[in-house]
Amino acid sequence: MHTPPPSLRQTADLLYRDHHQWLRGWLSHKVGCTHQGADLAQDTFVRVLGSNELGRLDEPRAFLMTLAQRVLYSFWRRRNLENAWLEALAQEPENHAPSAEDYALVRDAIETLDRLLGDLPLRARKAFLMNRLEDMTHVEIARSLGVSLATIERDIKLAFTHCYLASLDAIPNGITEAPSSTRP
Amino acid sequence: MNTPARQLDPIAERAIDWLLRLDSGSATAEDRSAFEAWLDADLRHRNAWQTISGLLHQPIATLREAESHLPGQRRAARLALTTPQRRKALRNSAAALLLLSLGGYALNRQHPLGTLVADLHTATGERRQVQLADGSTLVLNARSAVDVEYSASMRLLRLRKGEILIHTAPDPARPLVVQTLHGQARALGTRFSVRQLDTHSELAVLEHRVQLTATSGAQQVFDAGSTARFDGTRIQPLAASAATHAAWAGGQLDVRDQPLGEVVNALRPYKRGYLRVSPQAAALRVYGVFPLDDPDAALLSLAETQPIAIRRYGALVTLVEHRGEIE
Repeated sequence: MHTPPPSLRQTADLLYRDHHQWLRGWLSHKVGCTHQGADLAQDTFVRVLGSNELGRLDEPRAFLMTLAQRVLYSFWRRRNLENAWLEALAQEPENHAPSAEDYALVRDAIETLDRLLGDLPLRARKAFLMNRLEDMTHVEIARSLGVSLATIERDIKLAFTHCYLASLDAIPNGITEAPSSTRP
Repeated sequence: MNTPARQLDPIAERAIDWLLRLDSGSATAEDRSAFEAWLDADLRHRNAWQTISGLLHQPIATLREAESHLPGQRRAARLALTTPQRRKALRNSAAALLLLSLGGYALNRQHPLGTLVADLHTATGERRQVQLADGSTLVLNARSAVDVEYSASMRLLRLRKGEILIHTAPDPARPLVVQTLHGQARALGTRFSVRQLDTHSELAVLEHRVQLTATSGAQQVFDAGSTARFDGTRIQPLAASAATHAAWAGGQLDVRDQPLGEVVNALRPYKRGYLRVSPQAAALRVYGVFPLDDPDAALLSLAETQPIAIRRYGALVTLVEHRGEIE
């Protein structure tokens, strides 16, 4: 959608050249793995391109670190989510792990749902997922969660509104590529 | 991450109301024809409807598809997405990040504990040695947690989970006791380890003696070299040698004719994610010394000597199966 003007693009390339290795080292140290550190550094530079602060950079490393903290935060969030999912799977009576293909697909689907549901209150999340995912009727959900039917309907409406607005917010960020010339 | 502050446009809101109505489980035929009429009334209605009803369509379709060949997927996904601990864990990891950047973590690791009550814990793959205020040394195995409660009359170590090895400093006035869910081990000497599992706890005495008391009151004293298991009611001696049992403190897993399932259990705290061993593979008998700090290498070397196959899905799922099961 909005490609950075050449000067910004150059700034990004310079940032990448001068600080990529440092950033990768710092992130690898944080997560205790060089491969993941490299991926996260790449993610950070993707955010660099989407940032509107690129024009006025006094402290490039502080700037990179702020973006990297956000990348790390979402990394931990995804990891916690994945762990919670695996634990839930392990509790299932049919204790099968999904196939390799299903594994990645299902994990991504859960991450997408988590992102769209955002900071929706827990009960609204539950009600919404019971309805949309598990096909439970409003009455069944109200009974299962021990609240009134009107509350469940309000919760589900809130969840839909939330997802709808979140999906509107998600679209404008069309930047998905890191600087291709400097990719390892 | 922020709650969108934007207002919902009236047509989108109407579309959401329709979706709720039609999906409630109690929609009538009149509802449906009224809905059709609304859809046809305005092209914007139809567009809004497509957007709203298509929301989350893809991830939900993926989960339904997975459910169709492996029941339980939708439920597991819902549980994962509504686990409150996950949010708590998230806060913890955010807090841990902050601590790391302040260097507080390193500080806590290297300095002896000054406080009387402390909660010590280790993460996956982390073994940690701590010097306590009385000069005793405590080694925590990976994924272990212990509360240190020292008072004027007793030195109490409450083992919350996992395993510890303790090298006690002498103090005749204050006995040192390790408390687990299943009973307590009282030091009559210097060095021993205690492991807490779901169903029972285990003791290995490395030096001198330890007095074991199960919750039921059953009591027995164990000498150096011996190992025992205790649940709430009974105490039973084990065959394993204490040195083998406590080899983890040196970073090794020393196994002599034990079921593979137990070996995998000992590796679990060192491996992130979901490690599953099939019942057939779990029953195989195993000998060997394996590196705890490299659980993947330990699994590979097991695969060289045992009829097992190790399959990985992504970074976090590892399955250990008997080769006979796979064909």
